[in-house]
Amino acid sequence: MGASTVSAYAQLQVQARVQYSRLLTPQRLQELMQVENFAALLSSLLDTAYAPYLEKVDRSLLTPRRVVYQLRCRLAASYEKLIKFTPDPGHQLLMQLWSLYEVDNLKATLRGIEHQSSWEQVLYLLSPGEKYWTVTFDKLQDMMRSDDIATALEVLRGTLYYEPLAHALNRYQDEESLFPLEAALDLDYYRELWKSMQQLTGNDRQQALRLIGPVIDKDNLLGAIRYRIYHRMSTQEIINYTLPFGYRVQDAHIRAIAAGEDIGAVVRGIYPRLLLAAVDFEAAPGLALRALEVELNRQIVRRCRIVFRGAPFHIGLPVAYLLLHEHEIENLTALIEAKDSRLPLEMIKSVVDFMPLDSQLERS
Amino acid sequence: MLQSQTMSKVELVAPEEDVIRATETLAVSGVFHPVHGEGIAGGEDTTDNGWREWAAGFADLERRILALMESLGVAAGAPSVKAPHLINLAVAKLDVQHLENEAQVYLRQLRKAQQHLKDLDQYITQLEPLAGLDVDLGRLRNLQHVFVLPGTMPLDNLERLRTSLEHTPFELIILDRADYLASVLLFGAQQDAVILERAARSAYLHPVHIPAEYRGTPAQALKSISVGRGRTWRHIVEIQDKNEQLQEARVKHLRYLLWRVRASRKMVETIIGYEHLRYTYVITGWVPTAELPALKKAVRKTSENVVFEIKELAQEDAAEIPVIMSNPAMLKGFQGLVTNYGYPSYEELDPTLLLALTFPLFFGIMFGDVGQGLLLALLGGLLISRKIRSLRGMAELGWVILACGLSAICFGFLYGSLFGSEEILTALWIEPLKETSDILMATIGIGIVVLSGGMFANMVNAVRNRQWGGLLFGHHGLAGLLFYWSMIGLAATSFANVLPLSPVWFGGGLGLSALLLIAAEPLGQLVESRQPLIEGAAGAYFVQATFELFEVVIGLFSNTLSYVRMGAFAVAHGALSLVIFILAGMVSPGQGIGYWLVVVLGNLFIIGFEGMIVGIQTMRLAYYEFFSKFFSGSGVRFQPLTLIPPDK
Repeated sequence: MGASTVSAYAQLQVQARVQYSRLLTPQRLQELMQVENFAALLSSLLDTAYAPYLEKVDRSLLTPRRVVYQLRCRLAASYEKLIKFTPDPGHQLLMQLWSLYEVDNLKATLRGIEHQSSWEQVLYLLSPGEKYWTVTFDKLQDMMRSDDIATALEVLRGTLYYEPLAHALNRYQDEESLFPLEAALDLDYYRELWKSMQQLTGNDRQQALRLIGPVIDKDNLLGAIRYRIYHRMSTQEIINYTLPFGYRVQDAHIRAIAAGEDIGAVVRGIYPRLLLAAVDFEAAPGLALRALEVELNRQIVRRCRIVFRGAPFHIGLPVAYLLLHEHEIENLTALIEAKDSRLPLEMIKSVVDFMPLDSQLERS
Repeated sequence: MLQSQTMSKVELVAPEEDVIRATETLAVSGVFHPVHGEGIAGGEDTTDNGWREWAAGFADLERRILALMESLGVAAGAPSVKAPHLINLAVAKLDVQHLENEAQVYLRQLRKAQQHLKDLDQYITQLEPLAGLDVDLGRLRNLQHVFVLPGTMPLDNLERLRTSLEHTPFELIILDRADYLASVLLFGAQQDAVILERAARSAYLHPVHIPAEYRGTPAQALKSISVGRGRTWRHIVEIQDKNEQLQEARVKHLRYLLWRVRASRKMVETIIGYEHLRYTYVITGWVPTAELPALKKAVRKTSENVVFEIKELAQEDAAEIPVIMSNPAMLKGFQGLVTNYGYPSYEELDPTLLLALTFPLFFGIMFGDVGQGLLLALLGGLLISRKIRSLRGMAELGWVILACGLSAICFGFLYGSLFGSEEILTALWIEPLKETSDILMATIGIGIVVLSGGMFANMVNAVRNRQWGGLLFGHHGLAGLLFYWSMIGLAATSFANVLPLSPVWFGGGLGLSALLLIAAEPLGQLVESRQPLIEGAAGAYFVQATFELFEVVIGLFSNTLSYVRMGAFAVAHGALSLVIFILAGMVSPGQGIGYWLVVVLGNLFIIGFEGMIVGIQTMRLAYYEFFSKFFSGSGVRFQPLTLIPPDK
């Protein structure tokens, strides 16, 4: 490891570790899970690192949707801070990772136009933090003002998203479904993410592959299975809507699923050590998919936790922290929705998959 | 020059119907600095009469106009209105809507024509490889056994499409590659048409169907398409020409609307900041006292119903009084250096003049050279003259560089240095390289004078603010000055015996001033007749005050020694010049062209590189050692209300 690598990552790893230490502790997670209702959950959250973001909004305005939006503000702040401190080409990778939320915002806006929703209805479904994005909230608002999707896409002219969306527009107009637009955005996003990872070298590349590779694997594999089970797509369609690259999920696996081979066998072939013996993709596809998703998420979280025990001077540290933070927010979102719907604790436990950090378990 | 313009606090009480006109008058006057208090919500009436909704409406309208201008390729340009009245929001919305619709018609026409041109280009790309075939296109469209699908698709999807069709016989011919898309022909068996079509569709292969109107062989169709292409191209040019005719009027209108809307938004946002009573608005702000009569007259002319009142200054107003620094043009560069640190508060001395005296002095001491100083002075003069267009923005800095250059010339004569050579001129005072300890001592002496000056300035500020405690017992007040001088005197008499007084006198002064500094807070409270004399426990106070005294000693000591850097840089400057002459001698011992080339380049290097370092050191001495004694920089800049932002 060169001195330049150490000096480039010194500040970044301090930042990542400081942020990592501010993720929720097991005790706090348990407390959040146990609270009576949404109001109590909100009060508990006001005692966490999310407080500054929640306090920016008058309490009476903190609806579940708005709370999730404010939680995401912290994620946006984390991304912005770490992107700022990360040297190239890691900088590009984090930017690409962060642009997933820009893509999600675009999708939410397109749905808003399709359903003729108002900007106010769409706004808090979006992810905040437009600092490094080309599609700002102003642009999204301009899109919302359009009468139809075709006019809305004109607002995106000059951005990276225009070409794939404009080309997919004919299909949207033929099929009257947003699926072709959303799938085009997703495929384009993952290709760019993969390219960003390929631009890294040495330990950085290895770490990025170990952490982001499984995320791509998860989405690709689950996507292929869903396309086959729920959308009843042809072999050719499944292949065309999925990716030929991944960390453990290879093109051959996707092609096997697309060709109609036994999904359970393919999944066990990819992950021989995964505890999925009881699940049956043919008989109970919903349960099987959920179990697979939970297991793959846990695997990602475990990988992220391991990074904080090893050598610190690489891109893995910020990436791992950001993925853990995203996982925490996803779980908090599920918890907020569950508490708002007054679901019983047992049911909440089945939807929320908290994975406390090793260091925090030690502290507890 | 040493103090800012006298300001008065005014309060206008305007009835609801006059608040807009009153705000316009204040904005046009250019002398009213508004104070944003608690705003509308802070008054008796918590309703805002729809102002916030108006502000949001104007903000939205401004964004729409900007988006429209962007889509038409129109820049915001300079403000087209000087004193705009509040625009009617509803009318402005209709106006913008009309312009948007008009633009949409044009953009739709243009895009449709452009798309048609693109389609024709696609047909040409698809047909060109088949140009040699002597087959009728009608027959190709109705093939019985062969499936043909011409189209465009993303380059990234090509390989994926091939993979997806690995078990189906097919041929994918790439006709053309652009940045994102490829033009392709997908061939296969008609019996696999469903598979091929689904695969192509999922790979985003967008079919290009050559319309039936293009008949005959591919070569004949190509000819017809080329004719159609030319026609479409002319149509595009016609649309653009027609638009250009409309553009002139539209640009003017759009810019006019933009600035009216911007000004209206600013006005509404300003009104939101006023205190709102039931039927009236209270507008508070600061005005240069000299401008009061004119402003009062202008307001009275606007409406008889607006009450104009000059308020008595209260103690708590001091911190918020805005400051207008009044310095002649030649000191504006130094004023810029001061404001870079902070604005003087209203009762504080404006340090611009003091900086204009000390800054060149420090620079000259460190950079004393007649030749190099002359070049700097010429550079300063050039900047002041504004003869070079790209450097016009640096005219004020030119005065700083000129002053530094002149000072460097003076010290160059005192040091006997000309372009680094100490052989040509005779030193009038000292040769830094030969009398190193003397120059170092001299600069410490200058430091003592400057620091004492800073303390005097602080005492002047204390008198202006009526802070008698600070004046008499502050760390940078009279007791602090006595302490500092006693410390210097004791050191001078003990180690060098250069003063006529005995060390006992200075020891006594040091002890007395130390006691005064330790007891500064209770003594200050006593002279200002305030209670309690000590806040909290007396023991804790005296322990803390004693430690603070140590901090003062260390601070004064390090601040004084900091000025040694001036002497050190004077020595370094001489040494660097010497090195250049040694290098020049090595390059050309006979003092040929090489010798003079090294001397010239070396001097340029010294002016650029060392000049920059010396400039930074000078700034440091001014900011940290000098300003910290008397200048808080916590003042508020006078920013008159304007509806048209000057930078836009």
